[in-house]
Amino acid sequence: MAAPFTRVYRPFWRIITTTKSNRGVRNVSYTSQQWSAQNVKTAGAASPWALHGAVCVQRLPVVTQDRSPIEEEFMELMQKMEFERSLLADHELKLLDDAALMSRKQEGDYDSDEEDDYRDKDIVTAQDLEDIWEQKLKDFQPALRSQGNDQKDASSSERCLADSLILLVKKDVGSQKLWLLPQIQWQMGETLRQTAERALASLPGADLKATFLGNAPCGFYKYKYPKDIQKEGSVGAKVFFFKAVLSSHKHLPLEKNSFAWVKKDELQDFLKPEYLKQVRRFIMAL
Amino acid sequence: MAGIVCRTASRIISSQASCSSVVAVRHSHWFTSMLSLKTSVPLRAEPKKRKKVDPRRELMVKERLKKKLKKLEKVPPEMIPIEDFIKSAKGFDETRVREAPDLCFEESERRALLLKEWSRFKRSQHQTEMHEIQEALEAQRQALEELKLESEELYKAAVSPDTDIFPFQHDGPCYTPPLTNYEAPEGKYNDITRVYTQ
Repeated sequence: MAAPFTRVYRPFWRIITTTKSNRGVRNVSYTSQQWSAQNVKTAGAASPWALHGAVCVQRLPVVTQDRSPIEEEFMELMQKMEFERSLLADHELKLLDDAALMSRKQEGDYDSDEEDDYRDKDIVTAQDLEDIWEQKLKDFQPALRSQGNDQKDASSSERCLADSLILLVKKDVGSQKLWLLPQIQWQMGETLRQTAERALASLPGADLKATFLGNAPCGFYKYKYPKDIQKEGSVGAKVFFFKAVLSSHKHLPLEKNSFAWVKKDELQDFLKPEYLKQVRRFIMAL
Repeated sequence: MAGIVCRTASRIISSQASCSSVVAVRHSHWFTSMLSLKTSVPLRAEPKKRKKVDPRRELMVKERLKKKLKKLEKVPPEMIPIEDFIKSAKGFDETRVREAPDLCFEESERRALLLKEWSRFKRSQHQTEMHEIQEALEAQRQALEELKLESEELYKAAVSPDTDIFPFQHDGPCYTPPLTNYEAPEGKYNDITRVYTQ
């Protein structure tokens, strides 16, 4: 009975039933008055909860993350220590030999016949090879690590390439438009995973292919309908989330207002607090 | 009659005990026949089938010899060397030794402190990872509990193993994103890996 009710007096039986309904209720703009009229039906052949299947599509990182300062320092230290403890490689030996040969050639009494390994190979020295390799590296232009559009366009899937992004959709729920993970109502005769796949396929204007990771849901969220919508049989809805990994990477532009690819720390700007609390548990952004 | 033959055979053989190789010395043709009689004592039960005994015995002797030969020839297969464990000669080459650097006190201190800092950093990283994994597992367990309360068949379908997911393949992150319409330059290489056959 730790619920923050404003009304102090309530009949005893209502106190018992409302304590049961406190778990997992979404705190949207509903006031506390509606809770007094709710009756939680525990018995019954048909369950009073409507089932929904939702999908959590992740675009996994395309590019490695930047190193934190301590990681940078440690990497430098490790490279230095390895270099100090190593032996000279063939290439380095060749460099030293070439340098020695050059210094011998500079001297006045140089006789090329005294050289042991004098062969035509000397024309290309190790230093020349190094220069050739550096030139080749400069000729190659890699793609940029960050496109620079991180903050502006939330609906592009080419956003933060170093993080994993989740797809959110804006949907009408009751009288409001809310940002949610894509979900759809469960139909008789299909498993919840098929519901989730249908939810992904039925998104308007988005051709996304994803691999679902297993048959089991990764999380759930349940909420009650507001008093006026509640009928005899339905009390609320349970949403089961399924994880999927985006497989095809078509850069089709999605509608800005209805789709968003967000990182885990940006989720709080989009989702409602109760919903966010359940969703954060299974999204791992390591 | 067989008993009489036996007694005579035993008397004659005891008198011939000094002979080392009975088979080689043939004083009379009776000796070989005695021998055959002596060795065929257990086969006395089948006096009529004596004709098959000899070829069978010869076959058995041949088989035993063949088995002994096979055992001798059975050499254990040569072990394939593990290339990583073979110390190459280049490692012992003294001309390749790099001179050891002189580290001042501050530098060695800095290194030691950085190593400790790193261990602390890795420990906290590990703890956050473990915590996140525990949270995700707990969320999944609760979701399955709720599903069980809902309907048994959906629960069973959720708990059943997924056969299509494996083999699962995903290319991990690289340093730069892939270039669109990039054609990698063709090149040839000589594969010098050593292949061993037993």
